[in-house]
Amino acid sequence: MSVFDGLKFRRVSSPIHMLDPRIKFLYVCSIFVVAIVFFELLPLLVLFLFQIPFVILARVQREWVRSLRGAAFLASIIFGTNILFRFMYAGYSLTANDIEYASAMTMRFIALVESFSIFFLTTSPDHLGLALEKSHIPYEFCFAFTTAVRFVPVLAEEAQTIMDAQKARGLELEKGNFLKRIRNYIPVLIPLIISAIRRSLELAEAMEARAWGAIEKRTNLYSLKMKRNDYLLVLVSIFVLIIGIFVRFYVSIPTLSNLLGF
Amino acid sequence: MAIVKAQSLTYTYPNAEKPALDDVSFEIQKGEFVILTGPSGCGKTSLCRCLNGLIPHFYQGELKGKILVNKYNIVDHPIHELAKHVGLVFQNPENQLFALSVEKDVAFGLENLGIPRKEMIERVDCALKTAGIEDLAERAPHELSGGQQQRVAIASIIAMNPEILVLDEPTSFLDPLGAKRIFKVIGKLNESMDMTVILVEHRLDLAAKYADHVIVMDKGKIALDGKPRKVLNSDETRMLGVGIPKATRLYQLLDEEKALHSRQVPVTADEMGKLVRGALRA
Ligand SMILES: Nc1ncnc2c1ncn2[C@@H]1O[C@H](COP(=O)(O)OP(=O)(O)OP(=O)(O)O)[C@@H](O)[C@H]1O
Ligand SMILES: [Mg+2]
Repeated sequence: MSVFDGLKFRRVSSPIHMLDPRIKFLYVCSIFVVAIVFFELLPLLVLFLFQIPFVILARVQREWVRSLRGAAFLASIIFGTNILFRFMYAGYSLTANDIEYASAMTMRFIALVESFSIFFLTTSPDHLGLALEKSHIPYEFCFAFTTAVRFVPVLAEEAQTIMDAQKARGLELEKGNFLKRIRNYIPVLIPLIISAIRRSLELAEAMEARAWGAIEKRTNLYSLKMKRNDYLLVLVSIFVLIIGIFVRFYVSIPTLSNLLGF
Repeated sequence: MAIVKAQSLTYTYPNAEKPALDDVSFEIQKGEFVILTGPSGCGKTSLCRCLNGLIPHFYQGELKGKILVNKYNIVDHPIHELAKHVGLVFQNPENQLFALSVEKDVAFGLENLGIPRKEMIERVDCALKTAGIEDLAERAPHELSGGQQQRVAIASIIAMNPEILVLDEPTSFLDPLGAKRIFKVIGKLNESMDMTVILVEHRLDLAAKYADHVIVMDKGKIALDGKPRKVLNSDETRMLGVGIPKATRLYQLLDEEKALHSRQVPVTADEMGKLVRGALRA
């Protein structure tokens, strides 16, 4: 299980999926800014909880939980190093505050993963490509991006087929030490690369046949139009940003241990 | 009016020893349904590549002789200009679909041509309907079966509304029923929209009835060129290993015995059925 599994897009129709990807990106950015200005556990916890309604609205709870589980390993490393660092820094002793600080850093990471996973889980690669195009990124790059996404599953399947075919010819992939194992993969990689090159030539041919490069300014089947919910999300993003910055500068934030009376 | 006209067309791929097309001359009239057939490696695909300028612009190599497509000399016009007039559906459906949804793929050519959005949506819908895949519009191409992908590839060319539709073995991934449906779609485009169709095909059993003109190639040369019944009934075609319709073959066998008296060589099972019924009654 990897972090990326939790970022795989699945087609669902929900108000969150319908949002303009650019605005969703704005939202992710504002969460990002707020997350990095705080060093205290309490506001970061609030930030984490604040995003849960989005997950539920988008009906991607299962995938979301999976992405968090995928992030758990990195999160525990962050927690561990922070504790270790504090422990050594404070002369080999640990207070409740130190633990809270380490937790805050971990929570910051989790809140960031959460916002990114909401973004990727609810934005189709199509929409993402479109958003790239509308952000004045040269079309060639956007095309390369969507085509790469399109061919990932195809190449993965092909790799599997080649592996099976080579295994049937007696190739042993899981044998030997680390270096040997890497070498074992050469008979898989070479056909895969050759086929990918052949594929890309055929793709180029097909693009030419469909008038690629006929005019400078190509049109687009899809358009991005801001709707009510998009404006709403803009407001939410700005609101989060302003509240975050205001609290940072004008409110003294109690630590959780104070609050609980330790 | 000849819409395609080749004169002593000879083409050699870069670094190849023998020419893939060797002194090829033929004419195709506007509105014709042409079947191009011949043994594997005889140069059918290479000829298709000439029709929209992939040869010589994409493949380079050495081109001699002349080919006019829609009055354009392909050497003088870039591929994207020829692509407006000649739609080419390739042999492998998978590698001609690049988008993440079917409708976006069908729109790709129109986007490149800068067609306004409103018109584009109409043309995409129309092409999807013609190919019989409206229900796949939002699916991802890689989730589709080979046959469905082939239909998407055809729809994406139909959407561009070319005068000449070239299909390079469009049924290689299809079962007979699927192939039959594709031929029907192509036949309709030829009939009702007056599109000139050039179909590269081995399954003559199903395709022959639509043809007005059959060209048989062999080793880079044109072996036979003419009316379907004449070409398909000739011994030369059969000797080349072209899979002539079974009805035609049966006719030849029965005709040796002079059992049938017909002025018209049958190319479909229906025609043959009629003939046999007539002979039995007589
Ligand atoms: N890209 C290429 N580079 C070099 N030679 C090629 C290339 N493509 C085809 N050829 C050669 O040109 C000749 C004609 O090939 P072509 O693909 O046109 O045949 P075909 O009739 O389409 O065969 P098939 O029925 O198998 O598709 C063959 O000898 C082939 O080896
Ligand atoms: Mg071919």
